[in-house]
Amino acid sequence: MTRIVEVPAHFDDRSFDQFAAGFGQWPPEEKLLVDARGAQWASPYGLTGLLTAGQAIAEAKGERPLLTVPLSDEVKRYWARVGFFQYAAELFELHGKVPKASTTGPSDVLLDVTPVRAMEDVHQVVEKISETASRILHGELGLERGAVGRFSMALSESCQNIVEHAGTSGWVAVQVYTFRRRLGRRVAVIAVSDAGIGFRRSLESTHAKRFGERWGDGAALEAALIQGVSRFRDPGRGQGLAGIKGFLDRWKGKISIRSGTARLAIMPAWDDDLPLADHLPFFPGAQVQITIPAQEAESR
Amino acid sequence: MIETIWVGHLLRETAPSPYRNLVTRPTGAAVRTRIEDALSRSDCLTALLDFTDIELLDFSCAEEIVAKLLLAQASERPRYLVLRGLREDQYDAITQVLNHHHLAVAALAPDEEPVLLGWVSADARIVFGCVCRLGRACAGDVADALGWPEARAGEALDALTLNRLVRPDGDLRYRLLVA
Repeated sequence: MTRIVEVPAHFDDRSFDQFAAGFGQWPPEEKLLVDARGAQWASPYGLTGLLTAGQAIAEAKGERPLLTVPLSDEVKRYWARVGFFQYAAELFELHGKVPKASTTGPSDVLLDVTPVRAMEDVHQVVEKISETASRILHGELGLERGAVGRFSMALSESCQNIVEHAGTSGWVAVQVYTFRRRLGRRVAVIAVSDAGIGFRRSLESTHAKRFGERWGDGAALEAALIQGVSRFRDPGRGQGLAGIKGFLDRWKGKISIRSGTARLAIMPAWDDDLPLADHLPFFPGAQVQITIPAQEAESR
Repeated sequence: MIETIWVGHLLRETAPSPYRNLVTRPTGAAVRTRIEDALSRSDCLTALLDFTDIELLDFSCAEEIVAKLLLAQASERPRYLVLRGLREDQYDAITQVLNHHHLAVAALAPDEEPVLLGWVSADARIVFGCVCRLGRACAGDVADALGWPEARAGEALDALTLNRLVRPDGDLRYRLLVA
């Protein structure tokens, strides 16, 4: 038996739950065919999440899943240019013609899909982003001059969370695109996804007792994102997410973290997402999205 | 006597690649160890940490370097710590971690004027600025300058002294980096 998991045509944080539901039980017992033929567009969140699914299956010693590539040449070329197929080929059996990745990526990509396996990778990611970030963040999105440093700090801390808490590796990608439906403005989006133990298991030994029966994926996200707790006893831990929230407050940005069966977001006024969504279809590890909108003319 | 420590040099000695970004906890911890080594060999009362060559300082490194150096002051030989060469976003990282610990540090702004980063009471922050303007002051001088009761000025000066943000000499308190 082969189970078919459909990649949504418009694959982003909103449609991710539909994708996650396609897997049924984790780890899936059947062979999987991940069908991306109908994909018309994928955000960095979608692409890193797709790789995370392949990674989680590999780490659970599951049978290597099949991935049918998008039928649209334009979509395929884009996925190739951001480096998706390079890593997907290690995790999936690819079906369909995959174009060669061009040497220069699209101009709206701040960071190609990049694996985060060790602290050294965090250094590399920060080095790479600083080359192009100023032009886009200050020039295009109208953020203040110091924003490049603040953006890179947010990126660094998000990636470090994988190395320190996930217990396995993960993926990061950063892109600029237009939020037509939700905002009607350009946004810079950082997506970080790992196939690790998730927030609940990471914090369970140190914080579950305090929450009693409420303990679960949602409570764990609340503890980390709202209360700033960490699994480490060092009182200086948990500063990364707190600092990121401060920047997002200044930029009217959004952070959303999905882990296990819950998703928690700190939202600006322009977004109509649910602050806490619980009882979602399970998906391994943690998926973080940080969204920074172009600043409105009057605030520039 | 002032010991100037070039954090960028220590980063290049610590990291395998020529990075100018102080990111990740292990990197921050390694750089802090180098700073502690340098300070242990020095008799200077004031350490000036110069961040001029540093491009990026993330929260983890701000915690590992600045917060942990200040926390260690309580148990080790006390020194005055002053930061220099910081960028605007690096102020944010340091302020965030020091607020968390209720700590504060003096930093030199680009115009060389001292500023306080981190957590102190509102009175102590005002008095810090006053001592910096005057160069040296006792509680009476501060009270006169600010139009405060002397007890209030004295209390704020005591808090700054306790946190090693001004240098005491008898009844006088000196701004840091004044020989």
